[in-house]
Amino acid sequence: MTRMTRRQFLRTSGSGVGVLAVSGLAGCASTSGEIEPKAGRRVVVVGGGWGGATAAKYVRATDPSIEVVLLEPNRKFVSCPFSNLVLSGVRGLGSLTFSYSGLREYGVKVRHEAATAIEPDARRVRVGDGFLVYDRVIVAPGVDFLLEQVEGLAGAQDKVLHAWKAGPQTTELARQLRAMPEGGVFVLTVPPIAYRCPPGPYERICQVAWYLKTNKPKAKLIVLDANQNIVSKTALFRAAWQAYPNIEYRASNKVVKVDAGAREVTTDFGDKVKYDVINLIPPQRAGAITVQADLVGADKRWCEVDHITYESLKHRSAHVIGDSTTGLPVPKSGTIANAMGKICATAVVELLNGRSAPAIPPVNTCYSWVSDREAMAVVNAYKIENGKVVQVEQKLTPGHSTVYAQHAEGWAKSIWADVLGSGGAA
Amino acid sequence: MSRRVAAVVVLAAFMVLGAAASSEAAGPLDQPGYVKAMTCSACHGASGNSRSEAVPILAGLSPAYFKKAIEDYATGKRVSAEMEPFAKQVKLLGVDEVAAFFAAQRREATPVRADRNAVERGRAASTECAACHGAAGQGGQGDPSKLGPAIAGQPATYLKNQLLLFKADKRSPGDEPLTKMKAIVKAIPDGTLADLAAYYSSLR
Repeated sequence: MTRMTRRQFLRTSGSGVGVLAVSGLAGCASTSGEIEPKAGRRVVVVGGGWGGATAAKYVRATDPSIEVVLLEPNRKFVSCPFSNLVLSGVRGLGSLTFSYSGLREYGVKVRHEAATAIEPDARRVRVGDGFLVYDRVIVAPGVDFLLEQVEGLAGAQDKVLHAWKAGPQTTELARQLRAMPEGGVFVLTVPPIAYRCPPGPYERICQVAWYLKTNKPKAKLIVLDANQNIVSKTALFRAAWQAYPNIEYRASNKVVKVDAGAREVTTDFGDKVKYDVINLIPPQRAGAITVQADLVGADKRWCEVDHITYESLKHRSAHVIGDSTTGLPVPKSGTIANAMGKICATAVVELLNGRSAPAIPPVNTCYSWVSDREAMAVVNAYKIENGKVVQVEQKLTPGHSTVYAQHAEGWAKSIWADVLGSGGAA
Repeated sequence: MSRRVAAVVVLAAFMVLGAAASSEAAGPLDQPGYVKAMTCSACHGASGNSRSEAVPILAGLSPAYFKKAIEDYATGKRVSAEMEPFAKQVKLLGVDEVAAFFAAQRREATPVRADRNAVERGRAASTECAACHGAAGQGGQGDPSKLGPAIAGQPATYLKNQLLLFKADKRSPGDEPLTKMKAIVKAIPDGTLADLAAYYSSLR
């Protein structure tokens, strides 16, 4: 990838959750403005997604003597897994939207505010004009987009949607798909690895193709994949796509430019492709606050962590979990973030109690919906060897079926409750 | 107070707090197997009490039954692409501790309600099942050849799917203790198997 200077980075990364608004403050600590001075031991969790919400809940469930403050600007949790079904109209976004009330039942102090900076040396997190002091911070900001890698994208974000963070963009992209002309062209672009949810773009291709086949049989779906082949569940997706002759898949086609006025994208070979509706999934990196907090590695994109405690290799008092991490042989998936949340919470509790963290490997299950009623899965098992997470086995379901769809529904129901507490259902 | 003195005072206060916290009542981490079973909750629910239709409840399973299931998944005798890797992972972590953890958890019956008519039809068809699974599906006792697992309160879709696997001899084929179960199930129409599943899921 293109290397960026810090100045370029600051200029181009304004799209996230405003985390860099006061990023220059890291070095000029102020002593005023402390929010909720802490009495005992405190863990601050930055980000209430799959990893962060799980970690916040499990620290409290494991040791209620530890105060937990969760910083999450969004008032509702919207599940990215299953959100591709909103595009095809199989599910509504409301069925994927949950409150944070379940976490409050565990005594998590949920603050709907954005962390603006983390100061690992001072052990505090900046929130607006004030700050929170912590003993340990768990950083789980998910991904942010490298908009500058696609010319014309930063200025056209209202028209060129990613829908890669479930929410208003998901609903709007579903609306655009419905409003597309009968014989129209839907272009979907897949970013180069690493990105959130490796099978996600291909599941989305199934859902868009299923919708078009059912509702607009003359329409076409052109996929421009920056990668050399389908990144995940390759043979299974190829088999599933047999049902969708409306898919035109082009591997090794990295989109480098978008012209929202002309409704046209350009690939790195200079090929121009016209569209009626575009879904451009941009290249990604760890959430912006990890760059401000000096938690990213040499690649300036992802955070290296200890495989047992999830402590940042750069600042040990900060733990990083979920999609922002790198170096473990795991996908950026919801199940992995949930597992990391539990394992990291246990490590934090043990470390704060002066004990060593147990060596627990994560697990991964990723279900993908290939139609309105059939799903398939990839499963990864791990062990810890010499302090590192090592894969034991990866297994794919032999194909897609309605039984796997039942299992997918079961997984979702269980894991949403595991992440948010059972009171989290909207 | 100088900064150094302040730091020492703070550190001492921490040590006292830390000592107080660690000497407090037993928490989840003190339960044997808790950390090794922790990741299972993504699909099997808190403490193994699955709340969904197709994923089984692990809470309250006998250790012998749990260990056999893990062994059969790991060797592929019980075919499941979704469970085989995790069965291997559980064996590496220590199946005895994980089995003991789930056995010690109180089972909360599935919240998924079964159709009342199906439950009644299932009740009428359940006589043969009681010999090994107990009159209330609480699991067989005594005679080692009749130690069927506790199935009361398991989700109906899970039970139905398993009955269909038994019927098709796709669950642990060639397994001697299961031959009787399979012979019984083979003679039962699929619709009645669904009724039996509904009935046992409704039991508390």
